[in-house]
Amino acid sequence: MRLPDLVTIGWTEIWAHKMRSFLSFFAIAIGIATFFYTLSVLSQRYRQLDRSAALSGTGRIDTLTQHPLNLKQYNDLQFRFPANTSLSFITNIHYLYGSWTRLYYHNQELAGAAVVGIMPTWKDSSFVYKLEGRFINWKDIENKHRVALITVFTNEKNTRNLWDHTTDERPVTKLRDFTNHHHLLNQPIVLNNETFTVIGLLHVPSQLDDARFYMDKEETPTIYIPYTTWYDLFASDDGRGETSIRVITGNESSARTAAKSLTSYLRSQFGPNEKPDIEFFYNKLQKRLKEARKSLNNMLFMGIIAMIAGGIGIMNVTMAVIFSRTREIGIRRALGASRKDILFQFVVEAMLLGLCGAVAGMILGYLAVLHLAENINQMTFSWWVIVCSVVIALFTSFIFALYPAWQAAKLRPVEALKHE
Amino acid sequence: MVIAQCKNLIKIYNGTQDFRALDEVSLSIKQGEFISVMGPSGCGKSTLLNILGLLDEPSGGEYLLNTHPTSQLSDAGRTELRRHHIGFIFQSFNLMPRLSVLENIALPMRYTDMPRAEILPRARELAKRVGLENKLNSTPLQLSGGQCQRTACARALANRPSFILADEPTGNLDSRASADILRLLQELNQNGMTIIMVTHDSKIAAGTHRTIHMKDGKII
Repeated sequence: MRLPDLVTIGWTEIWAHKMRSFLSFFAIAIGIATFFYTLSVLSQRYRQLDRSAALSGTGRIDTLTQHPLNLKQYNDLQFRFPANTSLSFITNIHYLYGSWTRLYYHNQELAGAAVVGIMPTWKDSSFVYKLEGRFINWKDIENKHRVALITVFTNEKNTRNLWDHTTDERPVTKLRDFTNHHHLLNQPIVLNNETFTVIGLLHVPSQLDDARFYMDKEETPTIYIPYTTWYDLFASDDGRGETSIRVITGNESSARTAAKSLTSYLRSQFGPNEKPDIEFFYNKLQKRLKEARKSLNNMLFMGIIAMIAGGIGIMNVTMAVIFSRTREIGIRRALGASRKDILFQFVVEAMLLGLCGAVAGMILGYLAVLHLAENINQMTFSWWVIVCSVVIALFTSFIFALYPAWQAAKLRPVEALKHE
Repeated sequence: MVIAQCKNLIKIYNGTQDFRALDEVSLSIKQGEFISVMGPSGCGKSTLLNILGLLDEPSGGEYLLNTHPTSQLSDAGRTELRRHHIGFIFQSFNLMPRLSVLENIALPMRYTDMPRAEILPRARELAKRVGLENKLNSTPLQLSGGQCQRTACARALANRPSFILADEPTGNLDSRASADILRLLQELNQNGMTIIMVTHDSKIAAGTHRTIHMKDGKII
């Protein structure tokens, strides 16, 4: 018998016993929902990893040292690296919450921002912003200009989960909200009693487009000022001068060479006990992915359990169906059905149940992704997750229907025909 | 031409006490014959029919179908022969309740490699032949007993079998419908179809060429 005929028979039977069919594919649906959810989240993580790696390159290292570094040291280091290496010093982050530092715009106090000192080369890595105005240049660095860049979240969508109702009631306006309504380009802001000019706005892309969010979830608006200016204003507040050195070399092996030469330079400057904390960006990406995979493994395990339960349900219902249709099997055998025809008939029927389970499960899984997953704006649904879910459901029902269907195929026609 | 031949067929049902349902039955069926088999319950009529239909295997003896011995055949081989050479008509019709008349008639063809496009036209033609061209889309539940049995007759003809085995085809029908089905079978026989029919009704048996009487597993 041909497949379309088998599908027609199977579908007629499933439709004729809707409630029984629904109950038997329900467990499969739960399993598929879990798989769908897990695979969707996992595929998203992989995609982000790819895009993060593409954005920053695999040859990026971030090194943290406890010492402030000056421009001479910058030039020394730049000289040690190959010509195409991008080197950038970044200060640590100075948050405006809870510090005595205040930010004012025309006497209005703004809060909820961070201040970071950077160099023009900062732009070489993970730069996803749309720049309005100009960037910090070397002249700003050399002359410690009072200029600032501000991140603006104009494209953002609501990133909150459904039940996330935490509200931040602060006595002062948050910079994040403020920049949505005020165009600050070329305007003066007062930071730590010094007047800065906003030379550029960094428009943050919507989360959907921003691979960087996987690495550093950036929700606090940041004011970027020249590296040297930051040290003048804030280094003493924190009591220490941490500097992050970012080197981008192009690939992993050159990154390792650069790490060695960086360590030896820092030791030559700060003594043999200097132990810079070097982080290879690619390792960091891999580590994040590993963490994600580990947490999803537990989900996957639940999914497998549900699929086994679903498979047993399918097996049970197939056995019951075969018992109640023994006579039909006898008639079909008398009319010319072979053992294979009977086997396939019940296997196809069970696989159709599995398919129903897959469809119901994917709808459930889709709802789960919409309402349970973090960063829902980043979720997109890949065709391969759908294909995988369907294949898993079909495979499970195939495996579990095989034994009862084989029992049915084995029935002797003359005995099956006598069955009432 | 002999199309089916039984040589000393024996069928023993094993149980607490072995029961000999067929006891050295020999029988030749020629092409174009219309044979009725009569006898009391338990005399082995149905067992003989099951063996002739390759639904059951004899415990001894040989059954030749179109001169081919069948005792050594695998299940697949028996199925293949059954599919192409034998049509069945049952007492209780044995139609598929969820399928229409047309689909019921088409069912045996679905198990062959006949091109799909030819199946329904042939089923329609067969339905016309048994006078059901107006009931094609009815399901068995909407038909009378006689109409059900007509459907079963058309279905038995689907794969152009060598012969038709009918197990008490009028057993569930009133006398008018019985006469009707007998007429249909006679008509099929006149067109060349070989028919072997088990019946309890001597009036029905009288309408056939030859009547075989059985008792205690033997032909008398």
